[in-house]
Amino acid sequence: MPETRIGVFLCHCGSNIAGVVDIPAVMEEVKDIPDVVHVEDYKYVCSKPGQQILKDKIKEHRLNRIVIGACSPRMHELTFRQTMREGGLNPFLLEIANLREHDSWIHSNDPEAATEKAVDLVRMAVARARLLEPLEETEVDIRKSTLVVGGGIAGISAALDLADAGFKVYLVEREPSIGGKMARHDKTFPTLDCSSCILTPRMAEAGAHPNIQILTMAEVESVDGYVGNFEVTVRQHPRYVIQDKCTSCGDCSEVCPVDVPAEFDANLTYRKAIYIPFAQAVPSAYLLDMNSCLGVDAVRCGKCKDACEAEAINYDDTEKLIRLEVGTIIVATGFDVFDATQKEEYGYGEFANVVNIMEIERMLSAAGPTEGHVVRPSDFREPQKIVYIQCVGSRDEKTNRYCSRICCMTAIKQARMIRDKTGADIYLFYIDLRTFGKGYEEFYEETASAGVTFIRGRVGEIIEQSDNSLVVRGEDTLLSKPIQLEDVDLVVLSTGVVPSRGAKELAKILNLSQSPDGFLMEAHPKLRPVDSFNDGIFVAGMAQGPKDIPDTVAQAKAASSGAMSLMGKGRISVEPYYTVVDEDKCAGCRVCVSVCPYNAVTINERGKAQVNPALCKGCGTCTSTCPSGAMKSQHYTDGQISAMIKEYLSVHE
Amino acid sequence: MTSAEEKPPIVLDEPDREFVEMIKRTGGPNIQSCYQCGTCSGSCPAGARTNFLVRGIIRKALLGMKQECISAPELWYCTTCYTCTDRCPQDVKPTDVIKAIRNIAVQEGYMLQNHQKVAQKVLETGHAVPLDKESWQKLREKVGLEPIPPNASRFPEAIADVVKIAKKTHFDKLVEDKDEDEE
Repeated sequence: MPETRIGVFLCHCGSNIAGVVDIPAVMEEVKDIPDVVHVEDYKYVCSKPGQQILKDKIKEHRLNRIVIGACSPRMHELTFRQTMREGGLNPFLLEIANLREHDSWIHSNDPEAATEKAVDLVRMAVARARLLEPLEETEVDIRKSTLVVGGGIAGISAALDLADAGFKVYLVEREPSIGGKMARHDKTFPTLDCSSCILTPRMAEAGAHPNIQILTMAEVESVDGYVGNFEVTVRQHPRYVIQDKCTSCGDCSEVCPVDVPAEFDANLTYRKAIYIPFAQAVPSAYLLDMNSCLGVDAVRCGKCKDACEAEAINYDDTEKLIRLEVGTIIVATGFDVFDATQKEEYGYGEFANVVNIMEIERMLSAAGPTEGHVVRPSDFREPQKIVYIQCVGSRDEKTNRYCSRICCMTAIKQARMIRDKTGADIYLFYIDLRTFGKGYEEFYEETASAGVTFIRGRVGEIIEQSDNSLVVRGEDTLLSKPIQLEDVDLVVLSTGVVPSRGAKELAKILNLSQSPDGFLMEAHPKLRPVDSFNDGIFVAGMAQGPKDIPDTVAQAKAASSGAMSLMGKGRISVEPYYTVVDEDKCAGCRVCVSVCPYNAVTINERGKAQVNPALCKGCGTCTSTCPSGAMKSQHYTDGQISAMIKEYLSVHE
Repeated sequence: MTSAEEKPPIVLDEPDREFVEMIKRTGGPNIQSCYQCGTCSGSCPAGARTNFLVRGIIRKALLGMKQECISAPELWYCTTCYTCTDRCPQDVKPTDVIKAIRNIAVQEGYMLQNHQKVAQKVLETGHAVPLDKESWQKLREKVGLEPIPPNASRFPEAIADVVKIAKKTHFDKLVEDKDEDEE
């Protein structure tokens, strides 16, 4: 083995590190460590001149290991690896001591201790660098197909972009039709475009696209494999209507004797047991809700089958398991509306005339349960006095801490539409109005000009009067006086958004992280906003966090371009962090198989553990549980880690 | 409405930062999360009938306006029903904030006369509501109780112990009569 020659490079990061850590003192301490043949500092090692210094010194001092004391390896490890390649060294002979996030930033109030810690971190890095081994990156093929989970506007947009670019897309949707929440909206803010007029052409396009296969009433059951080679199992519930044969004539629905609340219309009207959720549904086919059906035989009912001329009804339909092979996955599972019964003081679910914004949205729709008329649910009268309450289930320590972002503009839009249609008196209680998007502030001002009254204050309580009218109490915080509105016909709660039901299960299936609020976590909040921590899996739309339609579509496009940039190449390189097995030591006890969170370990035909390098993330769980020490995490070997611990203790004991 | 002369602007040259810290330590750790929505004052039964405004007091406290907070008579209008605490979206615990401010107010010599009288009654008799009417003793006997309960009413020597505790904790100084012109 050739002589170990380590070069140590200390970065000032402007004043980020050097403003706290005494760099000359660290250099003085480090220069005499065995095997260190060169120590140098520079203002920004990551800069072009900084990298040149690195390359020059590698040649000049015949360095074969590099230690860099700088920011977190999450920032510039890839930069420096490339520099190593250009300098003629294997990129894995690099160790970074994090002197910024782990030191100067958190100990800025104690420069002396920070300097001491910097010395320790660099010494430990040198100890590990001695034992680093050159590793080779492997390449794997990537399939040119994508699974899109969720058929709302995010999923539809992403699917169309990918399909237009020539990739095969499987669009999986839990509901009987794609379209998501946007299909339920009447108009969109701030332009008052008709929501379905702009959405349904996209739905139809997705439905007819040769590269898109839509699977409705379907959920992702399991996902195996890794970036480029995912194996997906989808569970599709029976529709009892053959999609290709159904002509959507509606004869079946006409004879169906069952009436049940219509979910699509926020349960404000009824549908039949055999039904189509809305006229423009894609796929354009009816479905039979077997839970509500009276019975499929002639004795109990069976009327729909008799009525169907196309012979599209199949009472014997069964659940299907569909296996798909894809290269990338986009998660666009959207959101649900906050359940306002949690805010007892507002009486939702108890007082007939307290409704949420989604219910108003359906009332406003010409195709909705009231054909575009907003009414009091108690007596179907047109309300003369309406109160909106903002931030219900948002910005609230007791329910959801985050701002749901869309409710201010949705409420303003609805208030504007009702005001314009009926001239009702509308009072909108708010804490802060967040009209952040393009044209939003202008829309708010126009709504105020149209005569909607904005009151700064959150409503404290609602009391129901004997005629089902309501008393609303709050404070006008701008006047510092309690305010009480009596004989209010209708209270609309601006309910916020929550992660969709099932998001948690899907996160588990796909190994995705969720932030504490339940939305899916992106790999970096600024620089990788649609990537997940799992290579090849992207997130888009409300699934990642509250956002409006323009932001959702932008994210969908970003996610599809992320997927395309992976699949376009056809092959991708995999980091060599995976674990390798010493078969002579392995006893085949299977502990590693049971602990691996990525299902990367299997038992081979010799009865020994075997790691799939593409699945393995190098987390080290198997290495630390293996009773016989047969598992070795490449690049993070036990030897390297104990060398670091020993080095630290050798001075501090 | 007051005229401009009667309503000088708020001066924040020397806000009392220690005031907020004291409130955080003694009852309202989340007071700085308050975003002034007014749910508290909009729910407040006392505020519906008086000029008591919970949010206003919290706002003044956050600006460090200690004197304004502790000297206002409205500070004592809160019935501690805890409705605001139930409904506060930021978990500010307004009732506990009011109680913390009241404690500071009393320390600084601001106390409602009724409260002071009650406290003095305790030092005098050992009870806030002493048994000082003969008819009550008869009433007790009628329902089968001893005429005088086994407390300071029966053992007046215990009052000395109460006074001792009050002296040790300086409670006696807090509740003693102040000069009239201080009011």
